[in-house]
Amino acid sequence: MPEVIIDGKSYNYEGKHKLLQFIQDLGKEVPFFCYHPSMSIPANCRQCMVKVGQYVIDRESGNHELDDKGDKVVRWFPKLQTACNIDVADGMVVHTQETDELVRRAQKDNLELILINHPLDCPICDQAGECPLQIQTYKYGPEGSRFEVKKVHKPKRIQLGPRVVLDAERCINCTRCTRFTEEISKTNQLTITRRGDKNYPITAPGTEFDDLYSLNTVDICPVGALTSTDFRFKARVWEMNQTPGIDITNGKGCNIDLWTRDNLVLRITPRYNKDVNDHWMPDSGREAYKLFNENRISRPLQKLDGEQILSSWNNAIATFNEQIDGTDSKNTLVIGSPHASVEENYSLAKFSNLLGIKQPVFVPHIVEGSGDGFLISDDQAPNTNGCRLLGFTELDVKSIKNAVKKASLIILLSDHLLDRGVLSEKDLDGKFLVVLATNHSHTTKLADLVIPVTTAAEHAASYVNVDSRIQRTFRAKETKYTNRRLDLEMSEGRLDRYGTNFDNWVTEENKIDCLPVWRFITQAASARGLDMVLTEGRQIMEEIASSLEPFKGVNYQLMDEHAGILLKTETELKESVKQ
Amino acid sequence: MAYEFTKEDLKQIEEIKSRYPEVMPATLPVLWIAQNRFGHVNPEVQKLVAHTLGLPQAHVHGVAEFYTQYYKEEKGKYVLDVCTCLSCQLCGGYDILHYLEDKLGIKKGETTQDGMFTLNEVECLGACGYAPMLQVTNDQYVNHLTKEKVDKLVETLKKGETPGYEKIGMPQHENI
Ligand code: SF4
Ligand code: FES
Ligand code: FES
Repeated sequence: MPEVIIDGKSYNYEGKHKLLQFIQDLGKEVPFFCYHPSMSIPANCRQCMVKVGQYVIDRESGNHELDDKGDKVVRWFPKLQTACNIDVADGMVVHTQETDELVRRAQKDNLELILINHPLDCPICDQAGECPLQIQTYKYGPEGSRFEVKKVHKPKRIQLGPRVVLDAERCINCTRCTRFTEEISKTNQLTITRRGDKNYPITAPGTEFDDLYSLNTVDICPVGALTSTDFRFKARVWEMNQTPGIDITNGKGCNIDLWTRDNLVLRITPRYNKDVNDHWMPDSGREAYKLFNENRISRPLQKLDGEQILSSWNNAIATFNEQIDGTDSKNTLVIGSPHASVEENYSLAKFSNLLGIKQPVFVPHIVEGSGDGFLISDDQAPNTNGCRLLGFTELDVKSIKNAVKKASLIILLSDHLLDRGVLSEKDLDGKFLVVLATNHSHTTKLADLVIPVTTAAEHAASYVNVDSRIQRTFRAKETKYTNRRLDLEMSEGRLDRYGTNFDNWVTEENKIDCLPVWRFITQAASARGLDMVLTEGRQIMEEIASSLEPFKGVNYQLMDEHAGILLKTETELKESVKQ
Repeated sequence: MAYEFTKEDLKQIEEIKSRYPEVMPATLPVLWIAQNRFGHVNPEVQKLVAHTLGLPQAHVHGVAEFYTQYYKEEKGKYVLDVCTCLSCQLCGGYDILHYLEDKLGIKKGETTQDGMFTLNEVECLGACGYAPMLQVTNDQYVNHLTKEKVDKLVETLKKGETPGYEKIGMPQHENI
């Protein structure tokens, strides 16, 4: 097998590799800025310099030539090479900054050069704390600068588009952002203007950087030149904690990270998943942080004399049960939701099953033509396939209206059917409407009983995306009833770990008074003396996997190990049954 | 003003495109055609070039901005690029520049009211041996400048004539 010697250690390899990526995959490091594994390699930052050569072989004997000390002689390339664009070759000898003074010196000098015109405004820069330039300067950079004259000034605070702000002085011209618009989003909206020490990225005059994926450039910019208009100056990165999650704003289920501080989600960034979204996500998915923070329903609401008032959980559960008891199960309609997780839908279905109520129905939320074939799907909901695989009856607008007409008690899970124009106020006239929901909406306003439930940021639950891939979320945000310090699956940021409840930045109101659907259902069931205990997503998924064919073999551990599992689609399942 | 290529321009552009396997390399020569036609390649002209070639506007903009020889705004009929880089500076480049500023009544970077002259200060144009020197509109060099020579040049240009190319021999041939 071909072999490469890096810093004196030999590694075997197969296939084609770029040296920088190869070194990274080994868990080692060479500093770099412009290289990005999903884009072309321009090798323009010159930071990833390493020394590369081959052992000298004596032609006659075929043995390695040795020097006086008995070490193998290496024939080095006459100049240092950029690791990002050089192919690993058999017998290659590589010295990185770990073992070579020249390489250390080159990397240090390159940083000094890059920093000549850099404003060094890290104390007020959003990128500080997660800035490759800052980190690598600490690790490999010079102690100071020998540059004593005035820096070149460039435009600052340019609103490139609705969501991205440019500070051209911070830019190191790595061209990651322009390559992104050329190669990934393919809008070609950005270019580098001017040249030499005056260049920076910009749109063509009179055009806007309104790319639907524009915020990805903020993520990949290795300095603070591109920042998010929305997130600018909101938080220092080290104050937040980062929890993996799934984008719930459309059917693709992009893997994301939720960044929270004081139980508010402050920003959403993509999380790498080579089978779903690579390193990217649409800007629209990042807006979802508002759903988690704002306009939340906290404490149950009950309608009294035509007006919704805050109620207690006990009251809410009692009313819920009374209504079920008082209604013929034939007249009870349970509506599941493509906007809710598999576990939530399942809990509701199990409950209604025990009570002899028909299997829940659901209305897909698909807007034909709104997708782009990349990471934005026509499907506006994260779990349409989940509802299908649970065996829920799929209804269109007409048939749901009919079903509603026949029912007198309607239990609706996390789906704002009025807001999205499926039902009208008239359809619900004279019905008792129970809504389990996360946010206030026109639909919840009409409800007779509103049960506040957890969002994807507050529960661990799974969603089946448009490609039938099941993926799950983690708890990122505490509710009134959860506690970061006791819940081993929740991440803790610095402030969470070292702060106390008496610190003035701890805001109790940021914890919403809501329950996971399954908790509410379990309480309702136990109040009725039903033997049904659903504790958390992990256990529910095990139960689902053991009882429902499409989910066979699925569990959280597997999902975590493989970043989601591809399920058989409905049609594939039918086919396999036929065979 | 809406910019449009003439039929001949378009024919020439087609011919240029056919020289390359892809369209992108045609950007430079087509920007030249545009500049020769309109006297500059301002953002509107860049847009025209982009549309004509079916290339992203941002790309054409980036290319045009990279080269100082493309004028991104309207300039005077004659653009005088006076070199003040090292050799020219030592031989009086700044005197020439200031003399021109006074003579034309404009500062460097500006254009005369009548739209005749634009005056620029530029870095080395590679004619250090004939310093001080200037270049007329991306084209002819005028070397060994003196005030008299500048006067003459301005007169010539005002008449609508160009100074013509100068022939300068090598010192060792003693025919300077
Ligand atoms: S703005 Fe950022 S990503 Fe774009 S070229 Fe500059 S440093 Fe690179
Ligand atoms: S990462 Fe290799 S040159 Fe920039
Ligand atoms: S210094 Fe003026 S041409 Fe070189």
